[in-house]
Amino acid sequence: MIEILLIVFAPFIGGIIYGFERVVRARMQNRQGPPLLQPFYDMFKLIDKQAFIVNPYHTILGIMHFITLWVVVAFIIMGQNLLYVIFLHLLSSIFLILAGFSVKSIYSHIGSNRELLAALAYEPILIMMAVGFFMVNGSFDIAVIREHGASIASLFLLFLAYLMVIPIKLKKSPFDATEAHQEIVGGVEIEFSGIFFEFLYMAKWLEYIFAYLLLMLFAGDNILLGIGLFIGVFLLVNLVDNATARIKMKHLIKIVLSLGLTLGICNLIGLAYV
Amino acid sequence: MFDLKKYRKKSPWILHYNAGSCNGCDIEILASLSPKYDLERFGVINTGNPKQSDIFLVTGPVTYRSRERLIELYTQMPEPKVVVAVGSCTCTGGVFRDMYNVEDGIDRYIPVDVYIAGCAVSPELIIDGVVKALDILEKKSKEMEKPLKLFKEAISENGVVNRRNVALKVGEVHEEN
Ligand code: SF4
Repeated sequence: MIEILLIVFAPFIGGIIYGFERVVRARMQNRQGPPLLQPFYDMFKLIDKQAFIVNPYHTILGIMHFITLWVVVAFIIMGQNLLYVIFLHLLSSIFLILAGFSVKSIYSHIGSNRELLAALAYEPILIMMAVGFFMVNGSFDIAVIREHGASIASLFLLFLAYLMVIPIKLKKSPFDATEAHQEIVGGVEIEFSGIFFEFLYMAKWLEYIFAYLLLMLFAGDNILLGIGLFIGVFLLVNLVDNATARIKMKHLIKIVLSLGLTLGICNLIGLAYV
Repeated sequence: MFDLKKYRKKSPWILHYNAGSCNGCDIEILASLSPKYDLERFGVINTGNPKQSDIFLVTGPVTYRSRERLIELYTQMPEPKVVVAVGSCTCTGGVFRDMYNVEDGIDRYIPVDVYIAGCAVSPELIIDGVVKALDILEKKSKEMEKPLKLFKEAISENGVVNRRNVALKVGEVHEEN
């Protein structure tokens, strides 16, 4: 029962996390910040606004992106196979990338390109994470992973690698070149407007849920540790977001691939032989 | 009844366009988003994307080079929208008035809802103007709003309005001032 409730309200929980994050970021900069429910005000406003349709495929692909992402979150909450989850998540990114390529806007194309490159950089880390969980717990099932004890000690290097994936997924500096407001005006989301942009906006909230639920897998059955990890990483990501500037796409790929792959492979080799 | 109009006021997203200003007012706009004045506490985001914005902040007296873009950006904003003219030169031409390469103020080209005078305007005035614009935004209908010049009527088929190419280039139209 609680699982169904969680799944139904997942976007709204994500919205609250997003609103809270905006407040935290404002407080870090010594500002007051918007109200906690600001994302929902934005949502109602966007529903009320006029919407432009550039072409039908573009809008449909945007909505598909949101729906697949919701399914991904549902799968994690229900404790399905971790590999399915990761590949389905890739599919949802692909929908967004196709949507970006389906319009004529150059910024949209650049955004899609960057999204694709970013997927290239973080996908191997996610897959290695799944392999690591398999080696520790003997199963890809998230339900099984959640029953075992905390695996953060044996997967520590992969945990560090995953810390680099979170800013990419949540579009936080230094790794926010995929979205890059004011530089490429949001990239893939540029041509969406009104209620159709709302789907993309809510997909962003779901991304939060996705990233932090995967993070909590490192804590296994230890719920307190899971919550501790969530709070710690949440603050860390926002602190880094406030303190650093955006880096170029080229450097993003170099850093994430070289560092992340090395960390991941070391961890997997260690698990296999030690 | 659950009234969606109420929420227009709570999440105004801003598009800022410099139509040939001296940059004084642009700096003040950025200052009003900075920690000291913190425009974000009203839910304001500086989006930079016309298709997702509600408030059009324009600075500058509309140089001949910038008017096509001004109309283009204006027609790309979905209704309801409000236009705020920031700075004296945006309202009337200000120090640039009657120069050979500028129009005197943006209201020759697009309808303006709020004028903020001052050269340069102070951040407090900008915040006041934006808050005033929010009151107007709440009352607006979703009727299509049109620029005053450089504009072709949008074609509507089966209730769907096609806005493609409604903003014209300068050479495409016969103008008299
Ligand atoms: S009003 Fe004055 S300070 Fe502002 S842009 Fe115009 S000339 Fe510059």
